[in-house]
Amino acid sequence: MDRRTVLKGLAGAGGLALSGGLSAPAIAQGAAARTLRFVPQANLANFDPIWGTQYVVRNAAAMVWDTLYGIDAAFQPQRQMVESEQVSDDGTTWIFKLRSGLKFHDGEPVLSKDVVASLNRWAVRDPMGLMIKALQQELTAVDDRTFKWVLKQPFPKLLFALGKNNAPVAFIMPERIAQTDPFKQISEYIGSGPLKFAKSEWVPGAKAVFEKFTDYVPRQEKPDWLAGGKQVMIDRVEWVIMPDAATAAAALQNGEVDWWENPIADLVPVLKKNKNISVDIGDPLGNIGSFRMNFLYPPFNDVKARRAVMMALSQEDYMRAIVGDDNSLWKSLPSFFTPDTPLYTEMGGDILKGKRDLNAAKKLLAESGYSGQPVTCLVAQDQPITKAMGDVTADLLKQLGMNVDFVATDWGTVGARRAQKTPPGQGGWNMFHTWHAGADCVNPAPYTAIRATGDKAWFGWPTSPGTEKEVASWFEAKNLDEEKAAIGRLNKAAMDDVVYAPTGFFLSYTAWRNNVSGVAKGPVPLFWGVSKSA
Amino acid sequence: MLSYILRRIVATLPVMAIVALFVFSLLYIAPGDPAVVIAGDQASPEDVERIRQSLGLDRPFLIQFGSWVWRILHGDLGTSIFTNLPVSTMIGQRLGPTLSLMMVTLLLTIVVAVPLGVVAAWKAGSFIDRAIMAFAVFGFSLPVFVVGYVLAYIFALELEWLPVQGYTPITQGFWPWLQNLILPAVALGCVYIALIARITRATMLEVLQQDYIRTARAKGMGQGGILFIHALKNAAVPIVTVIGIGIALLIGGAVVTESVFAIPGLGRLTIDAILRRDYPVIQGIVLLFSFVYVLVNLMIDVTYTLVDPRIRY
Repeated sequence: MDRRTVLKGLAGAGGLALSGGLSAPAIAQGAAARTLRFVPQANLANFDPIWGTQYVVRNAAAMVWDTLYGIDAAFQPQRQMVESEQVSDDGTTWIFKLRSGLKFHDGEPVLSKDVVASLNRWAVRDPMGLMIKALQQELTAVDDRTFKWVLKQPFPKLLFALGKNNAPVAFIMPERIAQTDPFKQISEYIGSGPLKFAKSEWVPGAKAVFEKFTDYVPRQEKPDWLAGGKQVMIDRVEWVIMPDAATAAAALQNGEVDWWENPIADLVPVLKKNKNISVDIGDPLGNIGSFRMNFLYPPFNDVKARRAVMMALSQEDYMRAIVGDDNSLWKSLPSFFTPDTPLYTEMGGDILKGKRDLNAAKKLLAESGYSGQPVTCLVAQDQPITKAMGDVTADLLKQLGMNVDFVATDWGTVGARRAQKTPPGQGGWNMFHTWHAGADCVNPAPYTAIRATGDKAWFGWPTSPGTEKEVASWFEAKNLDEEKAAIGRLNKAAMDDVVYAPTGFFLSYTAWRNNVSGVAKGPVPLFWGVSKSA
Repeated sequence: MLSYILRRIVATLPVMAIVALFVFSLLYIAPGDPAVVIAGDQASPEDVERIRQSLGLDRPFLIQFGSWVWRILHGDLGTSIFTNLPVSTMIGQRLGPTLSLMMVTLLLTIVVAVPLGVVAAWKAGSFIDRAIMAFAVFGFSLPVFVVGYVLAYIFALELEWLPVQGYTPITQGFWPWLQNLILPAVALGCVYIALIARITRATMLEVLQQDYIRTARAKGMGQGGILFIHALKNAAVPIVTVIGIGIALLIGGAVVTESVFAIPGLGRLTIDAILRRDYPVIQGIVLLFSFVYVLVNLMIDVTYTLVDPRIRY
């Protein structure tokens, strides 16, 4: 063999490879058209939606596990696994009947005992579940398809609790799995949802695969968020984990992935220019930015200091730092509740409206007795949202004449340090930044951040008896008007006491290739109704 | 030689023990709490505490360390706090991509850098020498992620020759495997090509001044023979040393490269584990990397005997 022969051979092999001769065979290309490659918002590091309550786990779990009820776009719970329900006149006894033909992915039928075990596990970890558990007299399986829930007193939001999409969601698992301690992780991922989890293909941090469950019997109604018929049109959904946004953008443009859950705002203009890609708002409920002040220590143990900061903060500054110049992505939010939802109110929100009055804020701060002590401000630098908000806050506090101890760290450290109740100089803190999914802020039920029960409240440990009184009023409300009135009063009380500081409402985009159709807006990525052409 | 290798392997045990203690202590005192990450943003402090207890993170340092060492001695690296998968399984899942990336990068580096260095030394002071050294400075100065993005833009997005991201196991075909590794290997290799080309040039320049090279020329030996048979072999010890050190540096570079090209390797696993405070995974990976580093050093020492018969152990 001479040199020319070798070169010819190499050129031939190269040409064959470039022409696709060595790429996937035709049958595999057909399979590719039935496989949806999706880039999720984060890594699926664990897969127990009760044990770990991260949004990404909830989103994946919504494919694999079904719920008794599903919340629709009008925030109304609709029957999902349940065929019918009866409630006693006094509202304390509920009897539920399951749809016939429901099966788990291992072929076993879904029985009432599975539901009872699942609800017991969920109720230990969910704030609404805990409330129901406190009222519970009995939860029992009557027969294979019927179960009974008896309460000591009525709980009007019961069906909402069973269908809500806030983590932890009341997913139904087989009894043997649901009997796992709620503080320990399950190791079997068997559900009765429209897709099965391919555990053998799971590479945490890289890939998670879901396959169509052919025995799934969808409801006949049209799909509406997590309610209605969940018709799966593809054979396989592959989650491709991409930590780098620029890589995800390039992969979408190159056709290596089909759908990117939440592209960062900086890269959206590039995607919008690509004729093969569609871009739209993904979750219409968006997010609420926030920073929390520690009620336990000066200066923010004084409401005047908290109100001074609220008076001075410009939500526009925060929102532009997060989403840039795209005005369609943010709104001012003189409220603690998600805009454009039934209970939204601006009552008491005047402090966040209009021109910012720095001088009045400085005066109020002086009245609080603030005398230049360091304000420990925790800012996670590895989360673009908290980093952006932290920079704005540092500037704001300096303008108010405060002595800022800016702690630039990572989210893992913020998560641990914010739980410390020690003084700021001894490992504690004065402020930290975070954000809340709009779906969690539609009403007080899943809204841990609005609760103001002092020592038992969320980090910052706010105390606001007025807020708590109105939370109770909302739970007792019998109709929408009563609910709205309670939420209005709640919003005012929480604003007056500054339970936390809302920094604005912001949305994010989702992007997909044009050969994918049926992408619907919703609080979670909805894979039913989505199809893909070659 | 065999007894030397055995002695060196035995000597790695105390090194590994010190590394283990250091890593465990560092993680113990580092801020952060995996229970907080697991519980999620809406969890109550009581929930976080219950999770911490269930993971055994509330136990005293010595008990945690003792039980970890005991498991290691039984060949058990533990279970990931987050995924509930054995650490050995997770490392096994990620080993292939990282080894592939390092192997292709190393091969590319040696094939490109050594000839460049030899040619630069041969043509010392010429335009070719200056051009090669300018390339070396350029390659050395560019961060891996910048090179990565530029390469992906040109060769994946514009020319559509290669994929932007991902990894295909070699069991699914040689070309699919290689095409996913070309851009990452070039990006990661730039720095090492520059480094090794410069070292090769410097070492070769010194060797080319030696009397035996002049003798070889006087005897009429061809330029290729002089450079690659006589000179390069005698310049090999420092080059091999730098290549060996480069392997250790590649591990660090792989962390960035794997993120940029979405390669599911050990580098990304390391970052993910650190950000989530997945202690068993971090400990397992650091132990593995330490072992690899010790092994590479041993291989370098053994290689010396092959390129220089005067070295004996």
